[in-house]
Amino acid sequence: MLDPVMFTGGVYKHDLVTELVEDLGGYLLQKNVTQSEVILLMLVPHEDMPVLEALTKELKGKLERAPLAGTEIAVVTPTLAIHHLPHPACDVAEYLRRHGAKSNMIGMSRGVAKKIAQMDEYETALINEHDAVVFTFGNFADCILKKEHLYRTLTVPVIVTGGPEMRKEDLPYAFEYVPNVGRIAHRSRKATEIGSLDNIVAAVGRALDSVRAEISKDPLTTTPPRVMDAVREQVPDVLISHSPLPIALNLNGLRIKLPYEEYHEAVAGVRFEEGVTLGEIARVMPSRMKDYILVRILPTSETGFVV
Amino acid sequence: MEMDPLEVFEVQMPGEEYGAKKYREIIMDILQDLGLIRSIGRLYVYVDILVPYFAVFGMIRGKLPPLRVRDVGDLVAAEGGYQITVEDEEHMAGLIRALWEAYGREKVEQPDRNVLVVLSDQSPEELVVADLETEFRRDLMDALVRISPEGFRNRRNEMGKESFFFLAAEETITPELVTEAKGKIGGMRDA
Repeated sequence: MLDPVMFTGGVYKHDLVTELVEDLGGYLLQKNVTQSEVILLMLVPHEDMPVLEALTKELKGKLERAPLAGTEIAVVTPTLAIHHLPHPACDVAEYLRRHGAKSNMIGMSRGVAKKIAQMDEYETALINEHDAVVFTFGNFADCILKKEHLYRTLTVPVIVTGGPEMRKEDLPYAFEYVPNVGRIAHRSRKATEIGSLDNIVAAVGRALDSVRAEISKDPLTTTPPRVMDAVREQVPDVLISHSPLPIALNLNGLRIKLPYEEYHEAVAGVRFEEGVTLGEIARVMPSRMKDYILVRILPTSETGFVV
Repeated sequence: MEMDPLEVFEVQMPGEEYGAKKYREIIMDILQDLGLIRSIGRLYVYVDILVPYFAVFGMIRGKLPPLRVRDVGDLVAAEGGYQITVEDEEHMAGLIRALWEAYGREKVEQPDRNVLVVLSDQSPEELVVADLETEFRRDLMDALVRISPEGFRNRRNEMGKESFFFLAAEETITPELVTEAKGKIGGMRDA
């Protein structure tokens, strides 16, 4: 059982943390260096947590649980215009990021209004590559009801946010509805506004748990962090990718930020100690995001073994 | 007509009490951002989300006089011309442009960052630096477009000397819709 945690501390000696996590059999998911401070997002074996806590104390760093680590969440706004951005969509995305998620903001090309709102096949497929999605709608109850067709065809859990209180049974296609967010023209800073952001994080956590429960019924052949480690080792070009997060983890696979045409054979050829290649236990396909590579790990029922 | 800044501010959205409360906040935030609150006396907003349309009627507080050279800097007669010392640099670009236009580039000098010298015996005192009225109306239009819900792409705008009427809707705006919106706003003003 791996615990998702976030380490915040000075750059000085932070490599001791990454080395310890590797020795313990954990994984380093993301490393962000901001001047003299570093933020590390890691998965650490539950029983070894006291060792890491002791080292963190020694380095005068901070160790927090990051419940959303290793997941990718889409934050969808009706468009990218000033009416919806930067508040509150950026607040939501940033808040999810602080809890360890990789959040992507998506503005629909024709998502506005009540009668003319629509979402195309590409947008649907792009959102479906995430683990969960947060839709940020406005302050009118009638509009929130009418916009249901935008997310009806999605296969990932949908968290709908908006202003007014709504009954759950009125939004049957939403996993959960979080009220008191809506459209605002200032930054979220009041206690009630921050409380609503906490509610969104909690709702996303519950949505991810439901996905995890679904996956556990037919477990994956291997875990995404293990694939990430193997790809980093055997396709070293990924380390010089310009993306802040060259490999983004999902609950059922990962996205590798290298051009598909050039690298998909190398990625499919990644070999594990047990003798199987990634191409045999996962589907390696082009991602809808730029020309990246999307890896979806096959469940045990399809491969017949676990590595 | 004498009015206090935003002495009347009413928002009506039948069936959408939460929306009405929230849109009050949004309108205040946007008017504050653009520095328009002091220029608006009364504001009535009516939204029918079932049609749907978004209507705003506002009364403008007095007319803003054009900004002249004497308003933006200290003017003193100097040897061979006039010297202008500017304290607030906000209108510096407009001031230089106005002086260039009136006297020609070779007659205007800037010996220091906030000092301008005009080589002429004609005083630039009454020269217009900025037309605040036009700027206000442009900012007001920007504010109304920002305030109205984004999906309401069909807009109609009637800008008068003392008041303005703005209507935004999702469908084509018909004369009947304009009459209906004006009727609702009229009802709010009479109430």
